[in-house]
Amino acid sequence: MEPAMQTPEQDLTKTLWLTPENASFSRKNGLLWLTCGGVETRVTLRRNFPLEELWSFLSVLNDREEEVGVIRDLSQFGQAEAELLRAELERRYYAPVILKILSLKERFGFSYWKVETAEGKMEFTLRDTYKSLVRLGGNRIFVLDVDGNRFVIPDVTALDRKSYRKIELYL
Amino acid sequence: MKRKRRPDRRQPETQPLSPPPLAGEVARLATGLDPVEPGRLVNGAVVCTETGISVFREGEKGKEFPLSVLAELRAEPGVGCVFLEYELQSGERGLLARSDAHANGEFSAFAKKVNALLRGEPEKGAEPDRHQKKEHRSSVRGAIKHLFVTARPEWKYFLIVFFLFALATGIGVGLPYLNRRLTDDYILKGNDRQLLYGLIGMAAAIFGVYVLRALVWVARGVLVAIAGNRLVVRLRDNVFRKIQSLSISGISQNTTGELMQRVTGDTNQIRNFLVNQMPPVVEHVLLLIIISAILFFYDWRLALFILVPAPFVVLAVRSFWRFMRGLFQRRRELNAQGSAILHDTFSGIRVVKSYGMEKREEERFVAMAAKERDAQLRQEKIWAVLMPILNFLIGAGEFILLYFVGNQMLEGSMTAGQMAQFSAYSGMIYAPLSMLMRLPQQLMAASTSISRVYDLLDQPEEIVDRKEPQSPSWDGAITLENIRFSYTGTEDVLQNVNLQIRPGEFIGLVGRSGAGKTTLINLIMRMYDVQEGRVLIDGVDIRDISQEELRSHIGAVLQENFLFSGSVAQNIAYAKPGASREEIIRAAKLAGAHEFIVRLPDGYNTYIGEKGHTLSGGERQRISIARALLPDPKIIILDEATSSLDTETERSIQEALKVLCRGRTTIAIAHRLSTLRNATRLVVLDHETIAEQGTHEELMAKQGIYCNLVLSQREMSKMTN
Repeated sequence: MEPAMQTPEQDLTKTLWLTPENASFSRKNGLLWLTCGGVETRVTLRRNFPLEELWSFLSVLNDREEEVGVIRDLSQFGQAEAELLRAELERRYYAPVILKILSLKERFGFSYWKVETAEGKMEFTLRDTYKSLVRLGGNRIFVLDVDGNRFVIPDVTALDRKSYRKIELYL
Repeated sequence: MKRKRRPDRRQPETQPLSPPPLAGEVARLATGLDPVEPGRLVNGAVVCTETGISVFREGEKGKEFPLSVLAELRAEPGVGCVFLEYELQSGERGLLARSDAHANGEFSAFAKKVNALLRGEPEKGAEPDRHQKKEHRSSVRGAIKHLFVTARPEWKYFLIVFFLFALATGIGVGLPYLNRRLTDDYILKGNDRQLLYGLIGMAAAIFGVYVLRALVWVARGVLVAIAGNRLVVRLRDNVFRKIQSLSISGISQNTTGELMQRVTGDTNQIRNFLVNQMPPVVEHVLLLIIISAILFFYDWRLALFILVPAPFVVLAVRSFWRFMRGLFQRRRELNAQGSAILHDTFSGIRVVKSYGMEKREEERFVAMAAKERDAQLRQEKIWAVLMPILNFLIGAGEFILLYFVGNQMLEGSMTAGQMAQFSAYSGMIYAPLSMLMRLPQQLMAASTSISRVYDLLDQPEEIVDRKEPQSPSWDGAITLENIRFSYTGTEDVLQNVNLQIRPGEFIGLVGRSGAGKTTLINLIMRMYDVQEGRVLIDGVDIRDISQEELRSHIGAVLQENFLFSGSVAQNIAYAKPGASREEIIRAAKLAGAHEFIVRLPDGYNTYIGEKGHTLSGGERQRISIARALLPDPKIIILDEATSSLDTETERSIQEALKVLCRGRTTIAIAHRLSTLRNATRLVVLDHETIAEQGTHEELMAKQGIYCNLVLSQREMSKMTN
């Protein structure tokens, strides 16, 4: 954002931290709504650090994609509300968990994967395998396929030996 | 190798329970997910009929409402997924379905279709999504086909080369035979004067054959080199031309490095395959066939003895290479990562130094180097262990042969010469076998390059000239009619844009960043084609004007003005290479560049570009203004032309721009609104369309978006003053 475009009354560094005291969330027809300061708005959640912090530093955006506030940590909210937010995040950031690598073949610069996920068997294709495996924060690996789908291996070292052997060369 | 185009991603353990066609069905979205439960994607469908919309989940009907209450459907991309949202006329909103990212296009197509139905618009037929991801699978067969097509103009060379190969192979097979005759008929026949002459004659013949073979090799090498190089030059030329003809979107999908790799690296890989790898393969295949035939013809048992270990050798070599390939690849990748660190550090050396981070960069590099070293060590260790074993295996056939031949010699049914001949043949079979094992790998490397090159060459040109282009009068009137444009196919960047620009008008485009200002300008220059609506210049659709003519009448000065390596004069005359010295000087004077240029020691001949004379930002900008001015364009586009300059320089460049814009239609984008004070009209873009337009005074009086922007900038300048 170029400073010239800011309206004067906006203070850039000020963050509205949303807590159970000033905010409450609800779901209607599958959409998330925020009640804050007596106003109810339809909102979506964005992870600020999608690869590192899954349940904290969450931006709450309104319909015009403007930030209403930030949730520092889900656990600040009561169980029911936290569950609601967690569900919303899991839906927006869709990344099936890879449990097992059934086969991994590389051909012509693409690699073809058959995996078993928590949701059943899936197949996908990666362009440039090395760059498609994003490793950030310990042993968690994100796999980004050619269609823009994401898969996650929560702990690569916890994979079974056969699966690990298949992926090992790319780590 | 042939694969199903899109393997079903949801597993067919339970067959998809797609609901049967409904009466009056208009559109259907198969694959989806009931949004009430996050997590698992299940078989689902959203079906739109003439009267209503229903959602199915595992074949069971869920949410349902009549079209009469529906206001709009929207496809909203998530991360790794896409949502379908609805809004009712009552204002009630909700989620209909969700799927993974690969359904992105289907979702937006469905939403578009339903929305068109709601608005009562005529059905437009399935609009092909131009930005859809290309088929990314390739096959060896396709690559070979492409290779043949590529090599066609050189077919005469390749025919001769093939003949020479056959000849060389024949000679190779003939030599052991001659040697046998030499041994059996002369050397072992005792001391006879007659025989001595024969012996000398025979030796001379063998010598002659050697010379002939050498000559064939030379001729073959030369021909292959000529054909290969002709081919690669032509291929490079094609790739280069193609890249230039692609639209900006086609080009910006690839990095400069990737494109360079295609022009030089990939074409070189193809040449390498044709020149260095293919010929030995042809030779070896021929050798294998001929020698096997000879062996079987002579004694089938002998042939079997020689060939028995072959399958094992083939298997061993194959798995060896497969294993090694992974290790090689890993090392290459680590090497590339190391280079990336070097590149980063060196090109960002000022940042590194100014933050005192030399130590950390060093550690990063050392860590990567250590990783590479370990990978290399592992690879070499394995190589050192396996290679001798492999060679032993390859040689094993000869031991078996020796046993068989030795037996026969003892029995007297075979001569020493024959033994020599056959052991030579068995060597000639195993050497090619081990070489041929590497063929798949080489073929793969080559076909990767081939498919990358042809991926590019086969890309349809997105912006195509009409067969019979029209010429507008070039008065400079621009009309935008109902324009809609989207880069991705899902999110519109511009929609419902209508604008009339009179000849000679100065339009200032204003709006937040991301409001679509640059996109609008790109559409006028036809860097992209609009998805809906028309751009007219003097009443002619720009798609009917040839691109060459269009661009020659538009002068653009951008924020980042790239100057090419070359002299100042060459850069100014870029758009009109034949420009006279007078024209160049006139353009430079108009741009206010003449004065500083003459002060340079080499004047207009000063070499600029990466390694040349360093010019200041203002000077570079003046040169690019001169470049835009030289062909005397009717339309001028200024995209943040002065925003990277300090206020002082900007002010003086503004003067130059005033000259530039006189009598020409000008469209300018600037964040500093003061830059646009010369504008006859300001156009404010907001939320994908034109929100306000009018003169500065009119818009200030309106107290809308523009007014806010001006006020906030005043505030800013007060702070800085």
